[in-house]
Formats: sequence, C-alpha cells, structure tokens
Amino acid sequence: MADLPLKEGLFVQPKSENEKPYLLGSRCRVCGYTSFPKKEICIVCRKEATMENIQLGSYGKLDTFAVMQVGPPGFKVPYIIGYVRTQEGALVFAPITGCEAKDDALGVGEEMELVIEKVKQDGKGNNLIGWKYKPAGKRK
Amino acid sequence: MKKLAREVCILGVGMHPFGKFLDKSLKDLTRVAVWNSIRDSGIDATLIEAAYFSNVLAGLITGQEGVRGHVFLRDSGFQSIPIVNVEGACASGTMALREAVFAIAAGMYDVVLAVGAEKLYLDDTARSIEAMATNTDVELMAGLGFQFTGSYAMALRKYMKQYGWTQTHFAKVASKNKKNGSMNPFAQYQKPLSVDEILHSRLICWPLTLYMCSTMADGAAAAVVCSKDMVAKLARKKPISVAACALRSGEVTGEDDGQRRAALEAYDMAGIGPEDVEVVEVHDAMAPGELFRIEKLGFCKPEEIGVLVDEDFFALNGKLPVNPSGGLAARGHPIGATGLAQIAELVWQMRGEAGVRQVRGRHQMVPKVGLAQNSGGYVEGVSAAMTVTILKC
Repeated sequence: MADLPLKEGLFVQPKSENEKPYLLGSRCRVCGYTSFPKKEICIVCRKEATMENIQLGSYGKLDTFAVMQVGPPGFKVPYIIGYVRTQEGALVFAPITGCEAKDDALGVGEEMELVIEKVKQDGKGNNLIGWKYKPAGKRK
Repeated sequence: MKKLAREVCILGVGMHPFGKFLDKSLKDLTRVAVWNSIRDSGIDATLIEAAYFSNVLAGLITGQEGVRGHVFLRDSGFQSIPIVNVEGACASGTMALREAVFAIAAGMYDVVLAVGAEKLYLDDTARSIEAMATNTDVELMAGLGFQFTGSYAMALRKYMKQYGWTQTHFAKVASKNKKNGSMNPFAQYQKPLSVDEILHSRLICWPLTLYMCSTMADGAAAAVVCSKDMVAKLARKKPISVAACALRSGEVTGEDDGQRRAALEAYDMAGIGPEDVEVVEVHDAMAPGELFRIEKLGFCKPEEIGVLVDEDFFALNGKLPVNPSGGLAARGHPIGATGLAQIAELVWQMRGEAGVRQVRGRHQMVPKVGLAQNSGGYVEGVSAAMTVTILKC
C-alpha cells in the first residue's frame, strides 16, 4: 500500500510546510487563455507553440458547487464537488474539503485554497492522491 | 449562412418503449424501434440505402465496443448497406440524424435510417453509474467524484443566485413533465407527481430531489429520412421537413458555452426565429435543466423564467409547450436513444398524432414548427456536444 498520484504531471506537493502546493497548467502567450491541465495547443488561437507552462491554482474563488448525497464506489457521502476559478484564470474541477458537507457551509465567490491529499483508495488499498480545495483562512 | 444543399424529410419514426428491460438485448431494442419506424413510414425497407447508428455505452455495459451498429442492425435485417457508428454521449441520437440528413443532402442517397439504442440496466448498478461518468474527460473528472446530477446542480445554483429561480420552480417543471409523461405510452415513468411529492422526495444534491432526475433506462428510437425529391413517391403520411440540424462542441472561452451558438445557427439555417417555434423538446436529464435550455434557445430572458413557470407558459396547453413527451426525467434517458426520441415526439406532434398529449400551436392548429435541443457529455465545465434540430411542415 502506498500513496499514488491520480495521474502524473498534474500537481506538485510541497516538500515542506512553508511551501504551497500548486497545479501544473499553461497559458497562451498571445491571448492569455489559461488552462489546467496544461495544453500543448491554445484552444482559442489554434496555433502551435503559443502555450507556456505555468504553476497555478494555489488560490482561487469558488465558482459553484454541489453537495452530493449519492456517490460512486469509493466516495463517502455526503461530499462536495465544485469549480474554482484560480487567481490565474483557469477553471478547475475539484472535490471540496475543509468544511462540513452542507449547502450553507460554503458560498459562491468564497476564497479557496488548494490542498493535495487522498481522494480515494484504489482496489489494492493504495491511497490515490489528487487535488482538492478548501475554504481559505480555515484550517482543516 | 449554412444551408442544406437539398431538402430532406422525415417519413417515419418509431420507438421501443423506454424503461427497464432486463430480458431484452440491444438487438431486441434496436429491431423494435427500427421496424416501428419503417412501418410508420410505409416504405419498402429494401429502399433504405444507408444507416447511422447511435449508441454510447454498449462497450462498457455489454462488452460490444466495436462495430456496434453493424452487429445490432444485422439482427434487424440489414447487411451490405453502409452503416456508420455515431457517438457524442447523450447527444448521439440527433448527431446520427444529422449525418443521415447530410448524406441525403449531399446527393449520395435518397432513403436513410437513423437509429439510437441504449441499454443501461444490468444487474450491477455501480458499473452502470461508473460507465455514465465516462462521458467526461475521465482523467480529470471521473476519479474525483464527478456525477451528472452534480453538473446540473452546479449550473442551477448559479442561475438561482443570479435570477431568483427557486427550488419550487424546479419542482413545478418536474411535475409538469411527469404529467406529460403520464400520457406517453413510451415513457419510463407514467405516474403524475405533485409539486409537494417532488419537493419532498429524497435529496440527491441540492437543489435536485429524486423525482427531478432521470434514471437509467433501456430503449431505442429511429427515424426514416428521405430526399424531398422522393417524398411524393414514398410518403404515406404528412412528411416533416428537417429545416435545420446544428451541432456545436463546448466552448470554454468567451461569453457562452456554445449552446446559444448552436441555437442561432439552427434558426439561421431554418430561416426562422425563436418566436416561430410552436413545440419544443429539450434535454433535461434533470428536469430543472429545462429552464436553462429554454433561456439559451432564446425563448425568454433568464429573469422572466420564474414568472413564466408560475403561469404554466411551458405546459401542454401553455403558450409554448416544452417537453410534451415528459422530457428525459419522465420518458427515461437511454442516452444514445434520447435524441431520436425527441425527434419522434416532434413528428407525432406535428402530424397531430400525439393523442391525449397533443399540443396546439398558433391559432389552435397542429404545430408547424418544432425544435429539439439535445446535448451530451461534459468537458471543462460545459456540454461536450450540443445539437439543435428544427422541423417544419
């Protein structure tokens, strides 16, 4: 049993307490389109070699969310899913943590902070690690 | 302006009822819908020159990943003719129709079949739910707890905050559609439900309750389409013209998600505006979704919707009947069949064959213009594929 990333190349987990985790995204040098995960080709410009890799997603604002009362295998209900508009402008889908799984525990527009932690277990008992957001200013 | 090079008509439509049919295979569902559509058209089936087959999840549900249409249509009596498999999640049905229409408009064929069939029920519900969640970017979404109920709930939360839509409005829409579905012999749920019963059913994810949501279903639907040139020779019933069939893919930049663009393209193709439409079928996998579809199709402004719902504007006898079939939440949602079931409903309504759920258009006449909006999949927070089909007679 080990901790495994959901998928390689999507996020960076800090080595020390003082560093913030971040996501691996990209931005178009021409039009500014910002994407997570990173894209090789800009979907606005549709030209080669305009995208550059950037770090993003450490902070953002909650765009919308839903409290799920029914879940797929491996998910304990209730749980929250949501979209966060990162400070850099990318829209990121993520599970929401760090608050009660209730509709009044969060507000659209609320400041959010990235956390990297276990999302679920795989069939072999490994912890699958992924990205989540929690309300900023509240410690889990 | 985009135009079909040649006029194309629907001669016949048919369905296999939507519901739970554990003892029926995709071959059975396909065969019933196909032959119902052929019988409805009145043509000799050997005139069919090509077929477009829509299905989404047979690979994951039954293991039939490759040559789906070739296998399932063979059991309906089709060999030799070209068969093309079409997949765009829940929008697949109208995407198949669109390809059939294009094949005729291009001058290649005169008589073509469009079929959608889906089997979602098996003994393993968890597998069905996991299969449904593959209609997204699975690397990003499926493993993180994404569900389609959540995508509707997240969109509705924003509309509620911005335009004052309420959970009671949503229950009213669901109740209206359950009532319509109760009059549809092909619907999975034929029981009318009150606003209170819907509001007080189990919470799935706020603001959605159980009776607002579509569930899994098995089913099939088909349409026989033909060139205008051959209509005089072949048509046994009033032919219904395909005036527009727009398809767009999700947009994540700019002001919209592509749905409004699909609608504008369809209106332009048909040479009409939203004010000319008399009967509508929209994609409401969760019944309240009907409201944001209506808004994107340009039938009203989002801030007017609450009042219109309260006035029964979209009811069977309202000014603009929406989802007379019951919509997805009442008719059921066998995803690859849904789009063609929408088309079947519009054809029945426009021929005046819809029985107790027949709607009246302008001047209390049978509607002459119908619109179907179908969408499927989910990428980067928007629908992956969106179609708007306009029928005229």
